[in-house]
Amino acid sequence: MDMIAPLVKTGVISPELNLWLAVPIGFVFGFALFHAGFTDSRRIAWAFYFKDVGVPVVMFSAIVTGMLGLWGLSLVGFLDISEVYLLPTFLLPMAVGGILFGLGMVIGGYCPGTAIASIATGKIDAVIFIVGFLLGSLVFGDLFPVWGDFYNSDYMGVVRLDQTLGIELGTAVFGIIVIAVAGSLGMRWVQQKFWPTTDTDPQRGAILKLQGGLIAAALVIGFALAFFPTESFIDDNPEPPYYIIPKTASSQ
Amino acid sequence: MKFGTRWPPVPAGILIGISMLLTFIVAGRGIGASGAMTRFVAWVQHGLFPEATEQSAYFGHYFADGAHPLNDYLVFLVVGLLIGSFVAAWLSGELRVEVLRGPRSSIVYRLALGLTGGVLAGFAARLARGCTSGQALVGGAELSLGSWVFMMCIFAGGWMAAWFVRKQWI
Repeated sequence: MDMIAPLVKTGVISPELNLWLAVPIGFVFGFALFHAGFTDSRRIAWAFYFKDVGVPVVMFSAIVTGMLGLWGLSLVGFLDISEVYLLPTFLLPMAVGGILFGLGMVIGGYCPGTAIASIATGKIDAVIFIVGFLLGSLVFGDLFPVWGDFYNSDYMGVVRLDQTLGIELGTAVFGIIVIAVAGSLGMRWVQQKFWPTTDTDPQRGAILKLQGGLIAAALVIGFALAFFPTESFIDDNPEPPYYIIPKTASSQ
Repeated sequence: MKFGTRWPPVPAGILIGISMLLTFIVAGRGIGASGAMTRFVAWVQHGLFPEATEQSAYFGHYFADGAHPLNDYLVFLVVGLLIGSFVAAWLSGELRVEVLRGPRSSIVYRLALGLTGGVLAGFAARLARGCTSGQALVGGAELSLGSWVFMMCIFAGGWMAAWFVRKQWI
């Protein structure tokens, strides 16, 4: 069957246009980061003190939106998932990287995307964070032979949660939404417990209704996806494409 | 209802998710921020030490066949990100040069920790092949095992260190 997307892979748009379209897409990304409150390092760091759990709730909402879109559009035959670059797993390097990244986030107050967005709004601490970030990237790259073996270790290919858990893909999608909703409500409860607020937002009722409606919609779509077998979303390819940087320089 | 400067988390997250979905639909890949940073340092270092950078095991492939490291999808995306955030802050009247920190933190303390955290996060993003956007959000949506492990470990690492830097934030 002929699928329309990804547009650049199906030839609907040229690679040059694809590159230029990254600018408006980045615009949406940056616009959303600002309105999520992510151009404020305090707000990001407060997530780790349960003082403002907005960060994980935003992250869950973004993941659920992207996940429902990606797999939903694949299911209806709009998006050819075999032409989408799926991230491979290098389990241990990613776990260690995650721990270090979390340390960096609570110490520095940003992650790269939010820091770049914050630079555009005038935050000096974000400029300094990015200077450090560039230094860290430079050290990693220049001393790559030191940790190259570790970086490329524990490779598992493109492996999905549903495969690891031995469940259907649709079930995993629905399960993630349920966990995201429960987790968000749970963290909100902890925040209220330790950092009770007294200020009352006059729009509180309207916001509750809006967010409740959006969450309900996600749960309904996710529940519907759970009825489809994995094969209707993706043909499991035994040899997924991946990219490993060789430890030593090649003869370029 | 009317949204102010700070949107409720669910609609804000959905708009971030939509930007990610657009990259899936248009480009067949995800969003990302740290990749552009890596290419930027490679480009700067190449200006100073062209040969060593071209032969670098990690940075070398950015220059393969005479390629320019900044001629890349993620770099264009980050340019749009800068403009988008700038316009949003401008429309909200929130363009301000300032150092954000907790009430007990001095500016020097905040900037010193900002630099330290940046170095750690920069190194970690390379090790994990991506950051919060390119690895955690994109891989999260793709149901990638490594991305979910990465994300859980971010929160674990953050909570581990939170106590020690509390004076900076609360």
